[in-house]
Parts: sequence; structure tokens; C-alpha cells
Amino acid sequence: MTRRTKRRSMLRLIGWRLLQLPLILLVIYTITFMLAWLIPGNPLEKPEGRRPPAEIVQAMESRYDFDSPMTFYFEYLGGISGFDWATNGAQGPVIDFGPSLRHENWTVNEILVSQLPVSIVLGLSAIMLACVIGILAGVLGSLRPGSWIDLVTLLIALVGISLPAFVTGTVLLVVFAVSLGLLPVGGWGGFSHILLPAIALSLPFAAYIARLVRTGMLEELQSDHVRTARAKGLPERVVVFKHALKNAFLPVLSYLGPATAAAMTGSFVVEKVFAVPGIGTHFVDAVLGKDITLITGVVLVYSALLVLLNLLVDVLYQWADPRIKLG
Amino acid sequence: MSTYHEYVRSKDGAMIRQLPLILLLPALLILVVWLDDPAPPAEFTWSTSSDVFTLDPQRMSYLTDMRIGSSLYEGLVRFDPEDGTFAPGAASSWTTSPNGLTWTFTLRPDGLWSDGVPVTANDFAWSWMRLLTPDTAADYSSLFFSIHGAESCWKARSSDLEQFKNALFDSREQQEAEAVRLWNEHEQRFADEVGIEVVDAHTLRIQLDRPIPWLLDLLAFAPASPVYRPAVEGWPDSDTTVPWHQRDMPAWEDREFVELDPETGRLFQDHRWARPGRLVGNGPYVLAGWRYKRDLRLEVSPTWRNRDSVTCRSITKRTIEDPNTAVLAFESGAIDWLNGVNVDYRVDMIQQQRDGRRRDIHVVPAFATDFFSFNCRPTLPGDRFNPFADAAVRRAFTMAVDRSAIVKHVTRLNEPTATTLVPRGSIQGYDSPRGLDLDPERAREELAAAGWRDRDGDGLVENERGEQFPVTTLLYTTNTPRFKRMAIALREQWESALGVRIELVGKGSKFYRNDLREGDFMIARGTWYGDYGDPTTFLDLCRSGDGNNDRGFSEPEIDAALDAAAMETDPLRRFDMLADVERRLFTEDLPLIPICQVVDVHMYDPQRVSGLSAHPRQIQQLWRIAVKTPESTSRIAAP
Repeated sequence: MTRRTKRRSMLRLIGWRLLQLPLILLVIYTITFMLAWLIPGNPLEKPEGRRPPAEIVQAMESRYDFDSPMTFYFEYLGGISGFDWATNGAQGPVIDFGPSLRHENWTVNEILVSQLPVSIVLGLSAIMLACVIGILAGVLGSLRPGSWIDLVTLLIALVGISLPAFVTGTVLLVVFAVSLGLLPVGGWGGFSHILLPAIALSLPFAAYIARLVRTGMLEELQSDHVRTARAKGLPERVVVFKHALKNAFLPVLSYLGPATAAAMTGSFVVEKVFAVPGIGTHFVDAVLGKDITLITGVVLVYSALLVLLNLLVDVLYQWADPRIKLG
Repeated sequence: MSTYHEYVRSKDGAMIRQLPLILLLPALLILVVWLDDPAPPAEFTWSTSSDVFTLDPQRMSYLTDMRIGSSLYEGLVRFDPEDGTFAPGAASSWTTSPNGLTWTFTLRPDGLWSDGVPVTANDFAWSWMRLLTPDTAADYSSLFFSIHGAESCWKARSSDLEQFKNALFDSREQQEAEAVRLWNEHEQRFADEVGIEVVDAHTLRIQLDRPIPWLLDLLAFAPASPVYRPAVEGWPDSDTTVPWHQRDMPAWEDREFVELDPETGRLFQDHRWARPGRLVGNGPYVLAGWRYKRDLRLEVSPTWRNRDSVTCRSITKRTIEDPNTAVLAFESGAIDWLNGVNVDYRVDMIQQQRDGRRRDIHVVPAFATDFFSFNCRPTLPGDRFNPFADAAVRRAFTMAVDRSAIVKHVTRLNEPTATTLVPRGSIQGYDSPRGLDLDPERAREELAAAGWRDRDGDGLVENERGEQFPVTTLLYTTNTPRFKRMAIALREQWESALGVRIELVGKGSKFYRNDLREGDFMIARGTWYGDYGDPTTFLDLCRSGDGNNDRGFSEPEIDAALDAAAMETDPLRRFDMLADVERRLFTEDLPLIPICQVVDVHMYDPQRVSGLSAHPRQIQQLWRIAVKTPESTSRIAAP
């Protein structure tokens, strides 16, 4: 394959996927909307206790157009598709998710703008941390298989994979924040706040990366080219990091794509334990509260993010290994 | 072996060549984190498990919202948590007519909005129109329907809107004009017909349809707070020299935050007015900052009449959803007051407090009762037989309940047990009677009298046709383990005392509510928080057809007795009449089994923080809070 045809096929891939995106989002919107609609009650309803009289419930429902789902569906679609923006002379935000039904002082756009970066920063920090911890542990373990270092890293990896974040998170909080008083308990803003949640979030990923690196390294260290390198009398440092690790790292690279997406989307528990104002809590709270606009906003933004991340990973694959064909 | 530079330039060195790109990412992260300001420390920090839902007082219905609401706004009167009476707020004095139907309030001459404009009677009249307009869809509107004409005005506007929705229009202009016409008509109707009269700028008169002795309580309630019209509607100029009601109304299209929706004719409110810098209030604090689900900051208002007596100049309310993290944050000293301790180990912490090993956890009875409801309808859905339609069966089930075992061994919080609905000691001058308590012997007698006894010796009761007592479903909510544990204990108590079979059904609160509404349960858990300081806020639950009468209980004599009490003008006699109703309800009718008063567990160090109220109404006035300097005390008391 020439470089030009390769570039063209890459561009076609990107173009094709971007064309698919709106369609995928429309399907997701429809399904999300239907599911959200099935949740009983209305957003103002309190889970406990007092119910307002019928006429007030009716007033609430017509306030949200809850008496006609189809009107709601299409009017809302106009707002989020940019159609309203285009027809109204380009006023206001292009994509308008409307006000949150439950937290009415905020628009969904504002909530996403203020909280999505938090989740992304936390997710990315955790993945970077996971790479550092995972690769170090994996390499150390593979150098002397069966030694105490290997056993310790194995044990830590096992703990990292099997312990849920609310346990590791709480332990970290109790030790570093309450007992030692080194770091704040929860909250956001500044480095001191990001450290503990990033560690808690990174542990399962770090453990997995450590296992990947260790397995890969063990295999590579037995291979011909490493033996050759050693025979040439290269220092062990060069052999390990340049010759063995480079190949052993490839499976990690392919794992990093989905892992990054998972770290950014899956930090719900960590966000809760460390009181991080990220987007994760809405996956539960908005659904419980039947906050249809917020549910839709969060789901759509995340879907778009996932589709784009997958695309990025596919492109990176092709860059890393031209033998991989993509349709 | 190539040199390093050759390696970098080679194909294999691509990753090293991308190194600057890879380093860009951490650099970006650092930048983002660095740019994000940490919250400035406030003099007092408290935390709740969810953020404020709205800062529009008319739309408030959650306790936290109302606590912030009564800091930003001030109603005519305010509750005094010291002695449970009402003290002047925005009004300096008031009078009542002998028949209790006309109330006249005199506003303070020095009451100011936070932008410096005087607070007038027009502000109240306009805010209450918001409260009593269906377009606002305020949760608590109906509490104010005893104001003369309020309910009929509400209904007229509702039916106008209904007609508007179904009407056909020739053009968009016509539709818009009609929406404006209907709104103007509503405003006029409200001014003409509703018993809220602006006598002069500082005198307000309220006309009631029937005497409501708890009117002051309602007026102290956050939804009755005034709001400042130019701020709420987003008027273009901020002319603060002339009161808004003497200015020309801006055209609809010039009001930034309200519009009349041409599709439905409804007034649509954009709530972006309730933001730092825009929100104008007349309360002790102003809104200095609000970051969604993070923190909300209050600073003492420069215009509040009593500002010099406010000791805490700045307050931050943080949102910490995880109950365990909230406790840890308190332990680390980041929080001065933790409102609502919902961790399982709080029982042990309370025990430590009782043993004198800590002093910072407090159990405070709330204005609420936990109970279990019987389905009192003649039949269950699908025309199934309902054994609980018979009051004797309900009495039997009630007398088989060992409440003290539940609070001691099941909830382990030692809540005050309750045999009646109105929490004991929560309403001044009202003394709850005693209801049916544990008496398994009498319980079996009652059940036998209703025709249910063990006829074939299998330990289960049957009726005279030999049919077993239906398997009774016990519905509880799964949001906290508390109710599951209570339900398990009740099953054991009923099965062993009465010879019936109980099946537990746990549901999420949304589905549980749905079942209650449809009457699809046999016995279901329930909790009721009183809204205002009068027994009727609890007893009205037992009125036929009340929107919150989940039990479908209907007893004409109870309704008549409640009506008679409502017409009684002598407050002491009225309380006696209500106590009679409550006695009858909980010795004869038993539409529900009261279990215990709900308690609120919160944490603060009493040597550091003062001014928090332990009154069951849970009304906290933040401006009363004072914090001592941190070096004065250690956290844990010496034994």
C-alpha cells in the first residue's frame, strides 16, 4: 500500500464515521427518551412524603409539556440538533439541551460545561498514573519472575483489580486525609484534590497494565533479538527498556483506548467517594429524578465522546500497525 | 546499533518523535487543574447530600432549599426556634380581626432589598401572585388556598390555559395577543378578587375564607418570601430610585427572564435570574457564589436591617453526596456542620457520645413520624378481598407491634416511639393522646372477634368458611436499609403473635409511590413530615379524598369532626377537638400504625459552633450561627 492510498483510506474512514455519528446519536436519543419517559412521576416529585394536590401536579406536568410526549420529543430534538438555532437566526447556543428539569436554575449546557472537564481531567490523570505505575510494576516483576518483588507487584495488582473503588477510595481517605491530614477530604480545585481520586481510579487500570506488561516482557526477554542484544554486551538497562519493553508495550497501547474511555465515563463511584463534581453522578441522580433533559444531555455527550474515542483508537491502530485493515 | 539520533529519525523512533505531543497532555491537565480556583474559605461550612434544587422561593419544597431561602429572603414574620413563636420579620407588627379572617401587616419602614430599594407591600402582593398562579407550578400553593379568592383565581387561570391550548388561531400574532390578553386578565382578576390587598406602600391586608390559626407559620415559610420583580423578570434598566410598581412596565420582549409562551399561553420563567450577581433578596445574606453540585456561598447582606448582629459573615454550603465521605470531611475539620449523618456506623458514634467519648454527634427529633399504612379500601385492586377494610383487623395488627423493640434493636437509634401521628411536644399547646400500644392478648381477641381464629390447629388463622387469612404483603422502600429491617421485624412480630403470613415486597421509591397512588398494597411503610405547626398538617392525612390519604381511609365522622374543629375560633377548644379526633383515629379506626418519631442525626462541635436549633421543626436560621476560633477546643471531649 502506498502512502497516498493509505492516507486516502484513513480519510475515508474518518469521514464515514463522522457521517454515521448523527444517525447513531438520533437512535440513542430516541431510545434514551423513551426509557426516560417510562420512569414514573415527574421531576419535581419528592421520593418521600408529601404529594401536592392534583391541580398542582397537573400544573407541573404542563409546565414541562409532560402531558404530550411527542411534542416534547420533537421540540427538544429541534433544540439539540441545532435546527432551532439555524432557524432562529443563530441566537443562543448551537446545541441547546435546555434547562435541567430538576435543577431548574441551571441549563444542561452549563452543567455539562462545568462538570465534563472535571471528569475528563480526572480520567486522563488516572490513565497517565496507571501507565506509570503499571509499566514500572510490570517491568520490575518480569525481571525476576518468582522473586519477592514479583510477588508483591502481583499481590498489588490482584488487590487493585479486585477491590472496588469505594473501598480503596475510603481507605485512601482515611489514611491520607483524616489520619495523616496531608490531603483534603473530597472536593475539587487544585492539585491536592486530584491526587487521591486519581490514584483510586487508576488502580484497576494500573493493575491490568502491569499484568499486560509483565506477560509481554517475560515473552520478549526470552526472544531472539533480546538474546542477541545481550550477546552484543549491551547494558541490561538498554536491553530491557529499548529492546524488550518497546514490543511488550504494544498490547498496552491497544488497551489504552477503551481504558481511557472507561476512566472518563466510569468514574461514578470515585466521583461520589471523593465528592468530585464530575458528570458521573448524573447517570444515577438524573435517572432517579426523571430529569429528562439532563439524562439526554449526559447520554448524548458521552455517546459522541465514545464514538470519537473509538475512531481515534482505530486511527491510532492503523498508524501503529499498517497491517490492520479498517472498514 | 544505531546512535540515538538515527534511532529517533528512523521509522521505529516514531514514538519518541511524538514525545512532545505526549507531554502536551499532562501539561494541559496541569493547566486545567491550576486554573480551577479552590473555594475561598468561609467562616462557617456545612454540607448536605444534595445541591439546592432552586433558589426561587416560590418553587421551593426541599428543606435545604428553604434554609438557604430564609437566608436570602425574609418573609413578613419568622419562626423563633428558641420558643416556637413568631417574631417580626419584614413586618414590624400585625393585627387580627376578632373573627380571625382579616390580618393586617405593617411593614418595617427600613426594610431594603439588597440593591438598596425599599421593600414594599407591592413586593409581597406580586410574589404571592406568583405563588398562586398555576404557571409557576409551586409545590406549596394549595397551603395558601384559604386566602379569599385564591383557589377560584387559580382555577380560572387553569381553565383559561386549557381553553387556550385547544383554541384555533388565524395567525401567530393573534395567538400571541391572546396569550397577553389572558395574562392581563389574570393579573386584573388576582388584584380584584383575591384577598391580598395593598393598603399603602407599607400596609398589607390578607382576607381569609376560614380562620387559619397557623397563618403566621405559613407566612414564615420560604415559599411566602418576597422576590424583587425587576430582578426576577429581568427588566432592562436598573433604576433604583423609583419603586417598580410606580414605573412603566417594560414590554414583554424587554423582560429578559419571562415570556408568554405562544404555544401554551403559559408564563415561562427562565431561572437564570437566581444567580450570583443577579439575585436580589431582602434577607440576612446575599448569594456570593454558586457552583453546581460543588458549593454555594453566602455573604452577609450590606442592606439587611439586623446585619450588625450577624456574627458569621460568610457561609459555604458544600455538596457531598457520599454519606461516608461527608463524615470523613467532618472528622478532618473541613466541615463545621454535617446535616444528616446517614452512615450505618452512626449508631456506634451515638453510643460513643452517650459514653462521653465524643461530643459532636447529635440526635434531634424531627417534625415527622414513621408509620405503616393499611389499605383501608373496601377491596384490593382486581376486586380481591381486603381483610384490612375491617377496623378490628387493623387494631389487631396494631396491638401486635412491639415499637420499643423496633427502636432499640432494629433501627438502634432509640427514637421516641409513637402511638399517634402528631409528634409529641412539637406543637405548642397541643398534647397528643395515647393510641393503641403493644397487647398481643387483646390483639388475638380482636382478630378472633373479626372472625379470624385458628380453627384447624395449624397455627394460622381462618375465617368461619375455613379460608386462611390472605398472605399479607408488606411494601417497603429499598432506598435505605432502615425500612427493610423494620419490615422484617414486623413480619416476625405479626406472624408469631397473630398466626398470619406476611410477605415482604421491597421496591424503589418511584415504584413504591406508584403502588401507593394506585392503592396496590396491603400494608406499606410511610413517613410524614409536617408542613406547618398545627396538628391538622398530620391529621388531614386521614380526611376522605385528601391527596395524601394513601390508605383510601374514609370515615364521615372523622371528616365532620375535622370540619367542626376548622370552624372553631377558640384555639384551646380547637386543640381539644383535634385531640379527640386523633384519639378516635388511633384507638378505633387505625388507618395506619405509627411507629416512632423520625430523628435527624447531625454533627457539629457544640463548643465551637453555636446557634443551631434543636427544635423539631428543623428550621435553622443561618444568621444565628456563631463559630469560635479553631484553637479554642479539641474535637473530642475529655472523659
